[in-house]
Amino acid sequence: MRHFIRILFIFLAVLPLAACDRPAEDPGPAVTYSVYRHSMDGAPTSTDPAQASHIYANFLAVNLYDTLYRYKYLARPYQLEPNLAEGLPQVSADGLIYTIRIKPGVHFIDDPAFPDGKGRVVRAEDFVYSIKRHFDPKTRAQGAWLWQGKIVGLDSWKENGSNYDQEIPGLKALDDRTLQIQLIKPFPQLTHTLAQGFSAIVSREAVDYYGPEFPIRPVGSGPYRLVSFNSASAVLVRNERFREEPFSLEAEGYDPVSHGHLALDRLEGRVPPFSDRIEIEFITEDAARWNAFLAGELDFVKVPVSQFDQVLQQREPPALKPAFAEKYNLLANLESGFVHTDFNMDDPRIGYHPDPRQNARNQALRCAIIKAFDWQKRNEVFYYGIGQVFAGIIPPAAPEFDQKQDQAAIIRDLAGARKLLGDNDWSADNLPVLEYGFSSSVTERQMFEQFRSFMGEMGYPPEKIRPLTFATYGDYARAFLNREVMLITTGWTMDYPDAENTVQLFYGPNSSPGSNSANYNNPEFNRLYRSSSGMQASDMRTAMYRHMNQLVIDDCATISGISRRLILLWSRKLAALPDRSFVGGYFFRFASVDAAEPESRGAGQ
Amino acid sequence: MSFRNRPWQRLRTDKAGLTGLVIVTAFFLLAAAVWAGFLGESWSEAGGGRWESAGAQHWFGTNVLGQDIFLRSVYSVRTAFEIGLVVSVLSTVIGAVLGAAAGWYSNTWVDGTIQWMKGVLDSIPFYLFVAAVAFALQGVYWAMHIAMIATFWTTTGRLVRAEVLKIKSQEFVLAARAIGLPGPLILIRHVLPNTAHILLIQSSMVFVAAIKAEVVLSFLGLGVQDGVSWGLMLAESTQEILAGHFNNFLSASLMLFILLLGFNLLADALQDAFDPRQAAL
Amino acid sequence: MRYALNKIFHGLLLVLGVTLISFILMVWFGPDQTYSLVGKNATAEQIAEVRHELGYDRSFALRYAGYLKQLFTLDLGSSHSSGEPVNSILARTIPVTLALMVPGFVLGNLLGIALGLLSVQQKGRWTDRLITGFSVSSMSISFLVIIILMQVILSTPYGLNLFPVRGWQVNDPGSYLKYVAVPTLSLIFITLGYNTRFYRAVFAEEAGRDHIRTARAYGASTATILWKHVLKNSLVPIITRFMFSIPLIVVSGSLLIESYFGIPGIGKVTFDAITSGDQPVLKAVVGLTAIAFVLIQVLTDFLYKLVDPRIG
Repeated sequence: MRHFIRILFIFLAVLPLAACDRPAEDPGPAVTYSVYRHSMDGAPTSTDPAQASHIYANFLAVNLYDTLYRYKYLARPYQLEPNLAEGLPQVSADGLIYTIRIKPGVHFIDDPAFPDGKGRVVRAEDFVYSIKRHFDPKTRAQGAWLWQGKIVGLDSWKENGSNYDQEIPGLKALDDRTLQIQLIKPFPQLTHTLAQGFSAIVSREAVDYYGPEFPIRPVGSGPYRLVSFNSASAVLVRNERFREEPFSLEAEGYDPVSHGHLALDRLEGRVPPFSDRIEIEFITEDAARWNAFLAGELDFVKVPVSQFDQVLQQREPPALKPAFAEKYNLLANLESGFVHTDFNMDDPRIGYHPDPRQNARNQALRCAIIKAFDWQKRNEVFYYGIGQVFAGIIPPAAPEFDQKQDQAAIIRDLAGARKLLGDNDWSADNLPVLEYGFSSSVTERQMFEQFRSFMGEMGYPPEKIRPLTFATYGDYARAFLNREVMLITTGWTMDYPDAENTVQLFYGPNSSPGSNSANYNNPEFNRLYRSSSGMQASDMRTAMYRHMNQLVIDDCATISGISRRLILLWSRKLAALPDRSFVGGYFFRFASVDAAEPESRGAGQ
Repeated sequence: MSFRNRPWQRLRTDKAGLTGLVIVTAFFLLAAAVWAGFLGESWSEAGGGRWESAGAQHWFGTNVLGQDIFLRSVYSVRTAFEIGLVVSVLSTVIGAVLGAAAGWYSNTWVDGTIQWMKGVLDSIPFYLFVAAVAFALQGVYWAMHIAMIATFWTTTGRLVRAEVLKIKSQEFVLAARAIGLPGPLILIRHVLPNTAHILLIQSSMVFVAAIKAEVVLSFLGLGVQDGVSWGLMLAESTQEILAGHFNNFLSASLMLFILLLGFNLLADALQDAFDPRQAAL
Repeated sequence: MRYALNKIFHGLLLVLGVTLISFILMVWFGPDQTYSLVGKNATAEQIAEVRHELGYDRSFALRYAGYLKQLFTLDLGSSHSSGEPVNSILARTIPVTLALMVPGFVLGNLLGIALGLLSVQQKGRWTDRLITGFSVSSMSISFLVIIILMQVILSTPYGLNLFPVRGWQVNDPGSYLKYVAVPTLSLIFITLGYNTRFYRAVFAEEAGRDHIRTARAYGASTATILWKHVLKNSLVPIITRFMFSIPLIVVSGSLLIESYFGIPGIGKVTFDAITSGDQPVLKAVVGLTAIAFVLIQVLTDFLYKLVDPRIG
């Protein structure tokens, strides 16, 4: 027995050594090192730009790889800024031909994928290759929809078997540093798509060399390279060969009034990336993330809604309690997207119906449900009352958002709702059973129960409102993309600051499995969308967008919507503006942690 | 007859066991009241404010939606009994039938097949199996119950098989065989009744296991889908407990604890009374 | 020899059964990853392409045969989510899980044995009653409740605030102790009730046997009896319990702890694979667990013989 215990102790002593993985190349945190400890509320599974479909994956893609464009760090509204490109694209008069020059002497990081392990120069051909990958089924890429049907020859390249040696007339490298893109029809949002993680530039050598492992073996030319990556964390270290471009407050859109407190001025002229090492913790559980932040284990956190009470002194505008203000900076970030609950218009029980009378009754029912929905309470309970409720489908983050939009669609009117039901012969007996879909999680279940209780107050029998639950989001998506869900609650994060990106959600031809999960199909709306989509931003285009917005509201196709406001906190030793809408993870290179200061601060509290 | 009565006498003097019985009965009455519609009807109404504290209006306070936590935890008693009863009764019946068949026809293909099924089900980690069943039967109300029944019968089956093997060679069975009674009849009339104490003890243990599993499954999002349960309340509480809202957590975990304690005490007492030597093995 | 062949044959049948059932449940009817892999504005063709790439469009027999082949060649393919080879995922996560679970598992059992012995030694006295009462109470608390309580008490400002709330930033023995403490204490508490009760029953039965009574009659001290005879003779059930717990603590046991504390072990990977529908990972975990179970059964038989040659 004693012998056994001794063996056991030896075993226990050895275990932790076996369990810690630190590759030899990782120098580890050292004294002269500045380490930024970031946290995310979701975890990416892939660093492959082709799979950068959500904000978490985008963070990694744009820091490990280069994109042609990015958004200015500080300027609002968001402005495009050349990244790997030398300048903004030269566009032909008809808006169809884009010519882009890329910066000279940019290298991929050293990696065994290259001959001799030396990273080679990034060429225009690499960009062409990277976009082609989205149209190769083997990549399982998720960004093809951005360019589908828009670039000459790209779609037929795929139909011909995605052969990389075949040239595409509309997507060419004229020489090592010059790119040319030819569009089928004008697509004014093209440059925006080149600032997304999806369009980040990979090398063919690395894709071929790592094969299926490529998503976890990034070889890029971005400001950082990857040291370790798993479902709990990712560690990035500075790419020593990243091009030297001194930080300029003016070029990034610095405004002393709104940015003065961020201590960014001392960074002027220094060369990013400012942090030597970035440790990203993926912590989906709100409470755990928050506690880790309070314990000083993280420099940045998205504050869970349940903690807003503890943290905020006032709501409008959000301000911190003194105890927090002393230690942390605050950003109340309106998300670049919105949450809405669509009616499946394809379902004759609630949507379009061939019989005009029933069609009108269904519409009255939808409108009554919208009237009975209490946005104020939804906002209060789930978003601490600081989310922004708006009518329709153009969220406040879009430049085309209308401050003067009629608010009737988001003001609760129980009496009106009941009257509408009564006028259209709806009664507790003949109301249809509503199936409300969600993927099983605490919050989504609570939202369902709240919805049921709102409807109950209008007189909708609670037993006629049923949950349709799915164990994973993927299964939920399968169900609503196959039009099997009656009430579909989803969120949409805008890809670029242009309302085209949200009105397309209700464009008829985009019906499921496209992103129009309401399967809304209004000929007038469709016509307006077709004629506005190729237009440059203008008052006229804005008016068309707003008209489309009103059509969706009048047809009562969706209960919409709310833009959540994120409360972001970060330690005062971190000089940064960690805004994550549109600009995504681009701020990482500018995030500067003062290595000397935190100790004194920690000791002095 | 006196031999048979002794366990009940022993049980009657077991204070812990009686406490268990009282607890279980009290909870059962509560569940019955909910079933009958006297209690907890309005568990899903969101009438109160956000996170109200306990008071005359809401005895255990309200949750984030303003739902009454007392009503929810009482309604959950019904959910718990529904799961516990369905799972324990069905898994005991299946375990009894298959275990008896395996024991009676030991060393034949019947036994072999049943043993193989048992081996297969025991070799898949429980939560993985349940998760898989929940997926395969997506949208089926009984998915979780089915998964639990499919895994919980095996222990009962093993115990019954062992007991039947023992009983099979006893004189009264041999005699029944000698006079030419058909096998299944002997099994049902004479053998199975002698395993009753095992079934009683096992079903109370399965009841406990089922309720405990429900909590974890509901936390993982694989459990109760329409309704409320202590598992769902605890899942909810994990999101608010660190913000200092303990009502959900306290009421769900306390009620859960008391009911489980009642069942465990009862099961212990039954075991001590009927089968003192085998207790807890 | 015949015995061994028979064992192996039965083992193979078990493996076939387990793989078939888990294949049907987790793969054939299992989660479908297609819709989380397609882009925002997918077309029906793109969905078909992804299904093809994932192999969802192949026949049942082909896919099942492919699965068996993967298991027997241990070439488990790559995760559909990240592309990382499943073998490397296992190699990365299993050590973490072992480091996480072994201390709690071992301590929980040792404590259980100690309490069990103490309880038997003091049978009927208040120590025994206290221990029994404790184990019944501990068995009546939900796994989840214990984890939540431990976290609140040990890692938050509402309690002692001694340890990190979650995570696994382990790079030296110090940080290991820091991160393993709360999960270990939770695990001990979760299993202690069951362990104590189990060992108490085993020891009580052993202590009631004739040869122990004889030894006692010859005046051997209680401690000697417990250590020399009872413990030694109880080795078979102890070994069985240990052995059969191994696949369970590696997968089931760690599922909740790892997903709650955000620890990148095999339990969390499996849980993530379930919720994201990453079939290659799921298939590997289930298949390998089943094989481990069968191997352990054979090994346990062998160990029995070593401990007690009379068992055959």
